[in-house]
Parts: sequence; structure tokens; C-alpha cells
Amino acid sequence: MSKSGWYPIFLREMLHFRRKLLRLGYIFSAMVIPIIYLLAFGFGLGRDVKIEGGDYLSFLIPGLVAMSSMNNSYTWVSSNLNLNRIYFKTFQIYIQAPIKASSIMIGEVLAGMAKGLFASILIIVVGYLAEPTFHLSAIFVATLLINCFMFASLGIIAGMITKSHEDTATYSNFFIMPMAFFSGTFFPIDKLPVFIKSVIYLFPLTHTNILIRKTELDYEGLLSLLILIIYGLAFFFYGSGLIKRYNE
Amino acid sequence: MIEIEGLKKTYINAQNKTVAIDNLSLKIERGMVFGLLGPNGAGKTTIIKILTTLTKPDTGSCLMEGFDININPIEIKKRIGVVPQENNLDRELTAWENLLIYGMLHDVEGLDKKIEASLTMVGLWDRKNSLVTHFSGGMQRRLLLARALLPQPSILFLDEPTIGLDPQIRRQMWDVIRKTKIQGRTVIITTHYIEEAEALCDKIGVLSKGKLIAVDTPDNLKTMVGSYVVDVIDEEGHLNQHIFKSREGAHDMASRLNNCSVTIRKSNLEDVFIKITGERI
Repeated sequence: MSKSGWYPIFLREMLHFRRKLLRLGYIFSAMVIPIIYLLAFGFGLGRDVKIEGGDYLSFLIPGLVAMSSMNNSYTWVSSNLNLNRIYFKTFQIYIQAPIKASSIMIGEVLAGMAKGLFASILIIVVGYLAEPTFHLSAIFVATLLINCFMFASLGIIAGMITKSHEDTATYSNFFIMPMAFFSGTFFPIDKLPVFIKSVIYLFPLTHTNILIRKTELDYEGLLSLLILIIYGLAFFFYGSGLIKRYNE
Repeated sequence: MIEIEGLKKTYINAQNKTVAIDNLSLKIERGMVFGLLGPNGAGKTTIIKILTTLTKPDTGSCLMEGFDININPIEIKKRIGVVPQENNLDRELTAWENLLIYGMLHDVEGLDKKIEASLTMVGLWDRKNSLVTHFSGGMQRRLLLARALLPQPSILFLDEPTIGLDPQIRRQMWDVIRKTKIQGRTVIITTHYIEEAEALCDKIGVLSKGKLIAVDTPDNLKTMVGSYVVDVIDEEGHLNQHIFKSREGAHDMASRLNNCSVTIRKSNLEDVFIKITGERI
């Protein structure tokens, strides 16, 4: 894999990201929603609720990390790509450069992953402060990386097919928001009615939430891992295809 | 050498179908400054977008230095530089960062020195660490030109490169464009400015409604339609123009006119365009 292909794209995004980080508001905005959930559900509801034999906060923190990594990987990539393609036209310089569509995809996805991971780290730090027994396992870290990869790839698809910046918000409202609430972030899904549960099992975030809470890789975890990999690769290759077929 | 054969592009939306390029064939020799002249909607930018791989043609072929745009787009991308009509600089990055990213995308060797040379050439070296968003329109156009020249392309596409610039900056841009020609590059330029086309272009292609109406040197085009123009402004202020092959013909007509303002001048490319297409640029 040639570094001259994906690296400048990744570097460009990181240069933008660094400037945004220097603005205080960025870090606050990346943290505010998950922290509100943590305070409202974790501290409010969590004192009296037990889930799977443990306290609610221990259940909630991995879910918030999954949700936050999804939101940040997806939203950053889809929104930036849409703006760069339609309004700022900076995406043209990638298309006119002698690099493959897959290089553009890799650079954008890695940048989306970096942003998703950054937001996740903030939540993990807050999680440690709120729940000192919370710990990171290898499965947790691997799931987090796959989740960022998968949703950054999905962000590329949304960024490439949306016809205006408003459309990206619509996609987010129809796909990302329902996933955030119904995929096991805030409550276990196994007690939901069978019909709803079968729909929810189609959501990729559901499998992230299953896998990220596993302490060891059992059959259910392996199945979720496989589904996440399939979703991730499908999104990645479909996104690469959209870039390859780019036509103004 | 650029060889375009039977190029066609149609845009279809819910309301209508627009033929942007209609069966265009053209040869542009290496080292030439070739101008595409035409009014808005003539198809100039669509041609540039097809040749620079942003837009796929419906039919037709384009060979650039022996590579087919439909088969070897990456080989073509290695050989072209583009100054687009719409500014696509990264406004939240500095001038240096813009060129750094672009140079890395094009795998430019000795990048730091080449960035310095490019920024110096367009007079922006002292602003290398300024964010592009703080640049004036003229500075941004100059930076676009520096960026396009950074990988030392053999073919340079300039889509309205001096649009909106004041005359002094426009002439600075022309100097850089002339220098690129001296270095042996092929330059394809679209412009609204007659003066610009006359000052820079070895050959002109006149476009109207997606069709290439005429291709020749500026002098030959002017000779073809007539080298002298009599501008007649009548008592009501209307301008009528009459084109003549010879100076004598123009003088003869002018001497027979009374009660109006008469000017005899040499024809320019705008006269050529009006004569050939019946439109104004």
C-alpha cells in the first residue's frame, strides 16, 4: 500500500482536526451528549437498577463508548465529505490526483476512525472517573476499532450519495439515531419482543454492543464479530466503488 | 498532443436534457497555448472537467500523450495540472499546507524546495503560513496556479484563471502562464476575456452551444471574418458593426456615412465570435 496514496488524505484531515481541537468548544461538543446520558441514566437511574448481575453504570459505559465512536466516526466523515464534495469542491483534488479510489477510501476512513477513537477516549476517561472498576479488555479495544472502521466507512457512503448537507442530517435521523437508542446502548435487548428484536439484530451497533461487553469470546461474541466484519467490509468496498464511479 | 474524437456529454435532470458537448473533435499540439472561447453555457468547463477526469463523457475518446482517458486515467492524472473555475483551495489550511497535501497526492519529489519555488513564483512565499481564508481573491487565484504547477505537469488546464482579478494581477498571471509555455507545457485555457485570449493563445477554438464552430490562430480567425471593423453609432445610440477584409473597404463605407459616430479599428476575437455565432461572449 503506497503511502503517497492514503497518507496525504489522512494528513489533511488531521491538520483540520488539530485546528478544531485547539478550539475549546470542539472537545466539549464531542463529550457533552454522552456525559449527559451518563449523568441522566447512569447516576440518575443507575443507583437502583441492576443489569446482568452488575450495576447499571458498568453496563452503560461500554454502550456510550460504542455510541460515541459510531456518532463521531460517521458524522465527521459523512458531513466533511459532503461539504468537501458539494460546497468546497476540495474533493476534486483527490479525484484528479494519480491515486486509486481505495487510497481515498483508506485515508478518509482512517481519519474518521481517529476522530471516533478520540471521542471514545474522552468517554473512557470519564467512565474511569465515574466507575473505577471499569476496565478495558482486548475484546473491548478490538470492537471499538472495528466499530470506528465500520461507521467511518458508512459515513463515506452517506457523504458520497447525499445531494445536500441537509440530506446527511436526514440520514443521521433515520439510521444513526434509532441505532443509538435501540441497539443495546441503554438497555439489554434480549427482553424485547421477538419481532422488534429481529429488526434490531440487523443494526450493526447491536453487535458492537454485544461484543464490547464480552469478557471472553463465546459463540454469541464470535457471531457478532463476524457480522461486524462483514458489515465493515461491505461498507468499505461499497464506499470505494462510489468513489471510483465519481462523476460530476 | 491531445486528441479528442467524437466527444459528447448530455446532462439530464427532471426538468430538461442539456447537451453540454455535441460531437466535439479536436487536436491540440504539444507546447501550444490553446484557448476555448465561448459564452456561459457553451461547454468550456464541461470539456475541462472531462479532460481532467472529473466528468465522464457519454461517448467519444480523449487521448492525452498517448493515454486514453477512459482506460488510463491515472497516467493522465500524473501529467496534468488544473486551475479550476471554482476555487477549491482548502481555506482552513495555510498556503504551505495546501501545497504540501497536493504535492504528496502527486508524489512530488523534493517537495519542500518545490513548494518554496512555487510560492515564490506567484509572490506568496511571505504568506506561506497564513490561512487561505485570509487571502484576497487574487492571492487565492495565484495560489491555485502555484498548486497546479507544483507537480510540473506537462499539460496545464486553466478554467477562467483570471476571472475577477484586477488588471495588474491578471498580467502577473499571464507572465506565469507564458513562462509555463516557454518551459514546453501544453496549456488549455478557457476565458471570457478577449484580451486574455489574444495575449496568450497560439490557437483558439470557438465554442457555441456545445459545438466547436471554428479552430485557428487568432490572426487567421480575424483574417477569415475580416481584419477591419467599422463601428457606427447612430443618432439613437445604437451600435452597428460592419466587418471588412481590407482597410480601403472600411474607409470607403465610413466616408459615405453622415450624422453618426464612426470608428474604424482592427477586428478582435469578439468580432470573430459575433460574426461566427451571432452571439456575444
